[in-house]
Amino acid sequence: MLPSYLTMAAILFCIGLYGALAKRNAVIVLLSLELMLNAVNLNLVAFSKYGAVPSLTGHIFSIFTITVAAAEAAVAVAVLIALFRARGTAQTDEFNQLRG
Amino acid sequence: MTDMFTKAAWIIPLLPLAAFLLLTAAGRSFRSLGPIAGSAASLASFALALLVLLERLQDGAVDYNNSFDWISIGSYTLGIGFEVTNLTTLMLVVVSFVSLLINVYSAGYMKNDERINVYYGYVSLFVFAMLGLVLSDNLLALYIFWELVGVCSFLLIGFWYTKPAARAAAKKAFIVTRIGDAGLLLGIILLFWYMPDHALDFTMIESVFEGGTGAIAAGITTVIALLIFLGAAGKSGQFPLHVWLPDAMEGPTPISALIHAATMVAAGVFLIARTFDIFQASPAAMDTVAYIGGFTALFAATIALAQHDIKRILAYSTVSQLGYMMMALGLGSLTGGVFHLMTHAFFKALLFLGAGCVIHAAHTQDIRKMGGLGSRMKLTAWTFAAGALALSGIPPLAGFWSKDAILAAALEANPLLFAAGLAAAFCTALYMTRLFVLVFLGEPRFELAAASKVREMPPAMTMPLLTLAVMTVVSGFAETPWNGWLSGWLGDEAETHAGWAAMLASVAASLLGLYAGWAVYRKGALQGGAAVKERVPGLVALLERQYYIDELYAAVAVKPVRAVGTALSAIDRYAVGGLVKLAGAGAGWAGRLLTRLQNGQAQGYGLAAVIGLIVLLLAMLGRRFLT
Amino acid sequence: MFNIDLTGEFLAFFVFAAFMVGGAVLMISLEKVVHMVLSMAAVFLGLAGMYVLLDAELVAFVQVLIYAGAVSILMVFGIMMTRHGAEREEPARPLYETLAAVGALCLFGLLFYAIRTTDMPAAQPFDPGEDHTLAIGELLFTGYLVPFELLSVLLTVAFIGAVALAKKEEE
Repeated sequence: MLPSYLTMAAILFCIGLYGALAKRNAVIVLLSLELMLNAVNLNLVAFSKYGAVPSLTGHIFSIFTITVAAAEAAVAVAVLIALFRARGTAQTDEFNQLRG
Repeated sequence: MTDMFTKAAWIIPLLPLAAFLLLTAAGRSFRSLGPIAGSAASLASFALALLVLLERLQDGAVDYNNSFDWISIGSYTLGIGFEVTNLTTLMLVVVSFVSLLINVYSAGYMKNDERINVYYGYVSLFVFAMLGLVLSDNLLALYIFWELVGVCSFLLIGFWYTKPAARAAAKKAFIVTRIGDAGLLLGIILLFWYMPDHALDFTMIESVFEGGTGAIAAGITTVIALLIFLGAAGKSGQFPLHVWLPDAMEGPTPISALIHAATMVAAGVFLIARTFDIFQASPAAMDTVAYIGGFTALFAATIALAQHDIKRILAYSTVSQLGYMMMALGLGSLTGGVFHLMTHAFFKALLFLGAGCVIHAAHTQDIRKMGGLGSRMKLTAWTFAAGALALSGIPPLAGFWSKDAILAAALEANPLLFAAGLAAAFCTALYMTRLFVLVFLGEPRFELAAASKVREMPPAMTMPLLTLAVMTVVSGFAETPWNGWLSGWLGDEAETHAGWAAMLASVAASLLGLYAGWAVYRKGALQGGAAVKERVPGLVALLERQYYIDELYAAVAVKPVRAVGTALSAIDRYAVGGLVKLAGAGAGWAGRLLTRLQNGQAQGYGLAAVIGLIVLLLAMLGRRFLT
Repeated sequence: MFNIDLTGEFLAFFVFAAFMVGGAVLMISLEKVVHMVLSMAAVFLGLAGMYVLLDAELVAFVQVLIYAGAVSILMVFGIMMTRHGAEREEPARPLYETLAAVGALCLFGLLFYAIRTTDMPAAQPFDPGEDHTLAIGELLFTGYLVPFELLSVLLTVAFIGAVALAKKEEE
């Protein structure tokens, strides 16, 4: 059963990657990032049950990941709100100050 | 002691070279330095040349040459040095004498020119090159100086380079003489190929070719001789390479006197005289030289009949007289050619300098607009008359004796050429009379405002005229039919002949021409000329346009070459230039393409990172597959 | 892997998988942003079900609590605060999106290939005991104490920072 879980996680990860790269609304980009992180969590938990050394480490690790992801999501939304106030837009292709 | 100056003859060319270097360094400052340096150098050269001549006039003078090895390639050594023979001494004296007089004359003529130092520098460089040419002891050194003389001629013809006509004339002179020079170079190369030890010095040439072709086959000898003659024809303005000489009159008049009358154009005659043994070994070449010379003499004399520019008339006269010299050489008379060279240098320089005075006074070069100058410019008129009479071959002036020597040789060898020479003498007398009458006699025809300004020129310009007039009278007696001193001194067979027939015929032809000119153009009336024009308009037009030779050359040679040049230039601009522009545009296009990647959007950069990651993974996977 | 024995676990797996994949695909293809957030919530719930299948009850619970609850609402708040009026029609950039899709597909292909060709370890018994939560708690406060404390610091910093960032500038 392990490969199916891993494949599932891979599918989710790639969909999340596409969303992070190709979506123009910044909130959706954040959402796709969360999707990617969730895929990783699925991997961790699957390995913790079916892996070489089954233990609870995977569970703990995934709890940590969820925590950090939530904190990051909060800070990211705050940044987005600040950016929106400064620039008046939330479209990612308007933010091109780094252009060289 | 007896040949002290002969041994030091190599200094003679170096003095004008020093003047050239000094004047080039001086630049535009010290405007009085030009005449002083130039004249001093040429005076010193002339003095030395006279001393060498005095030494050579002693009995038992032996030819002297000295050289040093310049380049050694394998077993062949190229030397460069100088050789003092009677012929070269004579040329040294003539060249340095005329150049001294020109330097003095130019002080007056070019007084108001801003670039006078440049002018004197070029003149000194030219004198250096000409003297070096005269003294060279081998053909390669002669060729180097030959080219240098051509360059100086180019620089001096185009001296007033702001005039487009002067620029065009300088280019034409250089290109046309280049054709001749190419022939000369080919001749030298052939000679180098076939001579034993690849020797090119004149003593070796003399010994190989003396007494007929020995070491080298007859066919090759003829080819070599003809190629050398091609070079001489270019420099000396023989048909068909004569077209540059009349246009070269765009240069200042003293230059026309020095280069295109007395010295450079004589270099061709000198070359043939130096390599005379090659020519004597090939009868076919001698005949070619004689016929072309004779034809040119008559051809140019007829053209001069219908010209209106005083300098052009004199230029065509020079071409005609050079034809005489070539004819003499072709007929086997070395003395005739060289003697006429010497006398022609004097009286032609005299005529040109006189023309310079006239042009300065009347501010025009068109003889139809001159007239009556004789009463106001007595000195110029008398000296000009002396020169004109000498040129027409009236005894006892120099021109008569030298022309007689040539015609006598022609009568003996080839009656057809004798007839041509006679006809040319008639035309010569005719056009010189026309020139003299229209310029100096009769009523003034130029604008009255300028009339009062016509007066005699300053002494700087008139002293050389007097000196040359004296030489014109005196120098003829170096070789008379009763006392062939010059021919003996030059090493030719002493040609003492009491050939009354030739003398009488030439005097008769000259007098006839004088009379005809007087009758038609009497006392300055232009009706004479107009009357002639009415009778034979076609002939006059033909002569006036110089037999349309310039137009022929333009259509046949100039246009195709220019078309090829334009085509090649188009290829260069569009094909080669297009490729270069394409390369540049390609680089720019690639750059612009890459700019689009850096648009400041983080998602784009993220995509690039993902693609890079995939590529790396594929690479690692591939390695696992392949190894 | 393809020897299918139709058990309840298998069925449940497929249901949850359909939920998740459907939710994810809908998320990236729907038009309105709020719909996208809702489909995302569906994904989170599907994931929670997967965790239960994997005997990870605490993780499932935390997932529902935090992701399907807090993060989704957070995103909705984010959408609310960053919209201004009507949405403009955005210019499409087909080349870029195609390239991103291709990249994602390639990555999936590579991962799938890696999964297929790896020898998975033989399933071993896993018995953490009856009460996973107690075991996890014990581990958390003994072996993983330092990360736990660091996480708490991180959370504090995060919420202070978020408040500071999102605060309106004082006039």
